Amino acid sequence: MKVIRTPRSVDLAITSRCNLRCAYCSHFGSAGDVDQDLATEEWLRFFEELSDCAVMQVILEGGEPICRQDLRQLIHGIVRNRMRFTILSNGTLITDEMAAFVAETGRCDGVQVSIDGSMPATHDACRGNGNFERTMDGIMSLSKHGVSVSVRVTIHRRNVKDLEGVARLLLEEVGLHSFSTNAASFMGLCRQHSEQVQLTMEERALAMKTLLRLRKKYNGRISATAGPLAEGKIWMEMEEARREGRPNIPGRGYLTGCGGPLNTLAVRADGVMVPCQQMSHIELGRINRDDLREVWQNHAELRRIRERRDIALSDFEFCQGCDYIPYCTGNCPALAYTLLGEENHPSPDACLRRFLEEGGRLPEEELLAC
Amino acid sequence: MPENDMPIANPLVVLREEFDDWAVLFDPDTGNAFGLNPTGVFVWKCLDGNRTVEDILNTLQANCEDVPKEAEQHLNDFILNLSEQGLVGYEIRKD
Repeated sequence: MKVIRTPRSVDLAITSRCNLRCAYCSHFGSAGDVDQDLATEEWLRFFEELSDCAVMQVILEGGEPICRQDLRQLIHGIVRNRMRFTILSNGTLITDEMAAFVAETGRCDGVQVSIDGSMPATHDACRGNGNFERTMDGIMSLSKHGVSVSVRVTIHRRNVKDLEGVARLLLEEVGLHSFSTNAASFMGLCRQHSEQVQLTMEERALAMKTLLRLRKKYNGRISATAGPLAEGKIWMEMEEARREGRPNIPGRGYLTGCGGPLNTLAVRADGVMVPCQQMSHIELGRINRDDLREVWQNHAELRRIRERRDIALSDFEFCQGCDYIPYCTGNCPALAYTLLGEENHPSPDACLRRFLEEGGRLPEEELLAC
Repeated sequence: MPENDMPIANPLVVLREEFDDWAVLFDPDTGNAFGLNPTGVFVWKCLDGNRTVEDILNTLQANCEDVPKEAEQHLNDFILNLSEQGLVGYEIRKD
């Protein structure tokens, strides 16, 4: 398999700490939940290697990246090494000064902030009291300084009936260009609180229908790469292909659901390189000790994850007899791992056949047009 | 002060070599990317501020087979294009 010489971007968990403990957090309780953060100098040294490897973009995440007292120093290091950056944040610690600093660098592609509800009751349900107001203040500070804000809405049992309100708040009142959605997935702390936070089959169908309707209403300004909206679009496309008797959908029928390891590498807060933060149990080496190029091009585990694209879904017992095989991608390897202990397997959570067998219904086709 | 005639690559711009000697020039200040074919990569590596366009053309002819006669015009257009996008400049001569 041909692979680019070095990753185009890297996801860096610059801290394992966070000021919140969201009930569905994918970080805490995962292999990425490590005891110690790397020292400033270690990250700065690594940024030089990233520059030598012509990495273009760094994604700063955690934990909560703004917990780091030396964040400005780290960002200066990124800028000095000819890269751009994005921050993934819960938004509660973003001050006016921080927003001004980020804007002044001229290198920030955006700050992704999490908003889960249109009001404190729904946002704070999984994130803790007082955090809706703090997060909204953070968004306003970023907007005031012209920093691009992208909002991610994680859908769970406590906000699934507030999606209309969320869309109104973000797209009409705040005036964001768009926002994206996903759903609480069986990772990290969510595994302990699954009953309380993960959508039931009925709620999942409701979220799918509501989001497709809102996406149409707001002319496509709501997007998703995972969760009910993404599933709704993909599953309806699969059902259409099956109904029309199409032989396949190009690129489907194999474990092609994730292209991440072809472009991106991740680093845990303790400096261990991993394929992505959601697969932080696969240790590839340590920064400033192991050569990034060598790990990227030759590590056997990374190759194993990349080569999942060559594994046919028809090879799996799980998929036997399924009419959707030629139209399916098997979805997220990280979720397959947390559910089954095996990355190179279709994710049962993303199985359309199972969804329908359990009584799930796909939304009306006209909702797909946008 | 006049500029010299030896183009120099903007040191801030990142050359990302991808597959089969094709590459991308990435300007971190704008986020813009500019695709290069293998000849473009070769020329980019010659933009060291110590060679004129004529020198670069000679280097190209010495290192590559079947260089077409329009190469000089293509080279001038290419460097002008890079210059217009802020990817290449000229040092100021201290006269």
